[in-house]
Amino acid sequence: MLTGALEGVKVLDLSEDIAGSFCARLLADYGAEVLKVEPPGGAALRRMGPFFHDDPHPDKSLFYLVLNLNKKGATLNLETVTGQGILKRLAPQVDVIVETWRPGYLDSLGLGYEDLAELNPSLTMTSITPFGQEGPYSQYRGEEIVNYAMGMIMSISGVQGREPLKHGGFQAQYEGGLFAAATTSMALFGSEFTGQGEHIDVSITECIASTMMATQTMYPFMGGTQVRRRASGSMFGHPMPCQDGCIIVQTGGGASWEDLAEFFQCPEMLEERFADRAQRAVNGEELDRIVIDSIKERSKWELFPKAAEYRMLFGLVQTPSELVGCPQLESRNFFREIEHPVMGRVKVPAELFKLSETPYRLERSAPTLGQDNREIYVDGLEYDDRQFTQLRQLNVI
Amino acid sequence: MPRLPLEGIRILDSTYVFALPYAGGHLADLGAEVIKIEGPGRPDVTRTGGYAGSFPENQAGEEWWNKPSTYNLLNRGKKSLVLDMGDERGRDLFRELVAVSDVVMENFTPRVMRRWNLDYPNLRKIKPDIILVSNTGYGHGDGPYSGYPAQATTQEATHGHCWVTGYLDDGPAKAGASFVDFLSTWSAIFALGAALRYRNRTGKGQWIDIAMYQAGVMFLSEYLMDAEINGREGGRMGNRHPYRAPQGCYPALGKDQWITLSVGSDEEWQSLCRLMGRDELASDARFGDILARRENHDELDEIIAEWTATTDKFELMHLIQGAGIPSGPVLTGRDIHFDPHYRHRGFLERVDFPAERGVGSRFLMGRPYKYSNTPMSIKGPGPKFGQNNEEMLKELLALDDATYQGLLDETIITTTPTSGDPSPQMEPARAVELGLLAEYDPDYLQRLGLV
Repeated sequence: MLTGALEGVKVLDLSEDIAGSFCARLLADYGAEVLKVEPPGGAALRRMGPFFHDDPHPDKSLFYLVLNLNKKGATLNLETVTGQGILKRLAPQVDVIVETWRPGYLDSLGLGYEDLAELNPSLTMTSITPFGQEGPYSQYRGEEIVNYAMGMIMSISGVQGREPLKHGGFQAQYEGGLFAAATTSMALFGSEFTGQGEHIDVSITECIASTMMATQTMYPFMGGTQVRRRASGSMFGHPMPCQDGCIIVQTGGGASWEDLAEFFQCPEMLEERFADRAQRAVNGEELDRIVIDSIKERSKWELFPKAAEYRMLFGLVQTPSELVGCPQLESRNFFREIEHPVMGRVKVPAELFKLSETPYRLERSAPTLGQDNREIYVDGLEYDDRQFTQLRQLNVI
Repeated sequence: MPRLPLEGIRILDSTYVFALPYAGGHLADLGAEVIKIEGPGRPDVTRTGGYAGSFPENQAGEEWWNKPSTYNLLNRGKKSLVLDMGDERGRDLFRELVAVSDVVMENFTPRVMRRWNLDYPNLRKIKPDIILVSNTGYGHGDGPYSGYPAQATTQEATHGHCWVTGYLDDGPAKAGASFVDFLSTWSAIFALGAALRYRNRTGKGQWIDIAMYQAGVMFLSEYLMDAEINGREGGRMGNRHPYRAPQGCYPALGKDQWITLSVGSDEEWQSLCRLMGRDELASDARFGDILARRENHDELDEIIAEWTATTDKFELMHLIQGAGIPSGPVLTGRDIHFDPHYRHRGFLERVDFPAERGVGSRFLMGRPYKYSNTPMSIKGPGPKFGQNNEEMLKELLALDDATYQGLLDETIITTTPTSGDPSPQMEPARAVELGLLAEYDPDYLQRLGLV
């Protein structure tokens, strides 16, 4: 009886960063058994905030916590011959390895896909990098802002006359992680029939690019290049200030332009000068003024349900604490609580989507550094206590 | 040919707009037989060229509903069946198709499939191991927003993304395209792979219930934790980074050309000073360490912008990356068609439309990943409206000619949409003038080698 959709899948998560950790966490969330393998000093993510009560302790990174839920954890120094030998003993026991090193690094240690697939032909290795495994930029270094820039999205973010704008947070990293989990899950299904694994080459920049449907296709279809919004007279369709925050309205959906005029209590919107897209662009500054004036005394929380009555495409800018207290997320059971050995009981964003037969389960917190070393090395690989101690002394684990 | 992962999997794809239609297109790349189902009076809105889709040479023309760029990108490699789901006869045919399919995908608001008796419990009665993929704005269930209409562009605000995005001296901002749609796209593919594997091992189906809102919120996990534990609200960072400095987007040579870079260590900062020919800055106390550079970031931005403004953005990338510092140009929709890295990786695939479509050949984006043992490609453009009506109903469901004709006569099926208009086309020169288009190359087909 399987209780998780991916139950029975064994994963080694060698990643230090956000994308790889998120990918492996998603596999764990839906049933895979995931072992986080970190260098003896801990994954880089352990040094990234926010921290629990702002205490920069390696077991108190909240970022590390949310991206490594449901995993076991061990340390292993891949730069030692002994460590490399241990990874080669672990590789035949697993179905998936997730890694995010610079292309070629694992090969240089004798731990690349070719090396490990010889030991385990059904192994799938998911490699997530800024630009992919091959190509002229493959050795170049990525960062969030670089991924957004080269993935086209910055070319249409922000306003004309100013510099292009990146997304907040680490969206590109999360996207890389989710996309990688998706291709990994498809490869795992495929290997049910072929018995063969894959080396999956995920490019984070291409993940961003692949979302730019209108931007990419516009050029080969009609020779145009998409643009950022105009600096003035283009607020409609973007966050607009109201009494207690910001709201956003999009035309389309189930509401007509007349409905929008009624919703905003703005009969002027029905004048000829706002009749179509071109005229609304020409007279954008007037349109912005009229609409923003009409909402400056109104609350986003009053407008939100009202807009739904009009079947409008409507949003309000929510803050993180508003999201933490959101009744919709509560009804979806999005947040769960878990006991962490160092931080105690914490509430975490947990469930990405619902599966009816094999529901999401939060079974373990993120591992503390080296938490499961004994289970992996002594119980699993059968090193005796003396050898286990030596591995520690030699900085292998 | 290696076996594609989804060979032999039949998917009924009753989805509209971006999120799940794109999942269906990717599933076709992966080998599935994907049947796009639309209503006679409800052609997918992307068929109208809405949401910034483009018509070939900017002309809607004959059978415009088969031509738009985004429609063909999202729905590549699928079959098309037009079926009036609002009519009981249409729903009966849909049920017969469910009985011979593996997966149903839908993105109606929650009440629709229930009203049609096509929700998961009912579908299971028809096909016990069916996998249903539902995508909605706020998710099924009894939450207060479950019945609200939603679309990615406005959800960007609601799921918190706009709160953390924006210029430092301005309000919350939307970032580019309809971002959260694609989180549903890839959540669906991920969930479906897992559900198919589970079905293969247990014989059981599954209902996958995706909410765009929830996916968008998940991508702000660290902000949620900071709010929950430390009571902090996060906020906008512009183009900056919480730990790295300087980081930003700076002008390069040419009109509206930009280069990004991100300095993460003191060594990288010293390398950048050398590149800029400003060795004295490396020992300048105002920028001596990461804390000082964060403190004096505005000044740094001016210094860097002055240096970058006179050099080509690609040249800058090679220079800065050559010194070991992350950097890249802001690429436009035009740029990626000529960029050597994108070309080397074959990210853009040339898709040849059948001659009767009057579209010729165009480049469409493939996939952001590669399998080492199983090469993939786009199987073809999006299908014409109702292109596979006969194949689906006469061959697969074995309807006789008279019954089929009866369905045509009563417009339960059709190959011409009964409603919808192409979104109005604006002269490219006028669009550039109004600031709705950055640039226009009249000779783009020659430049791309498509004529």
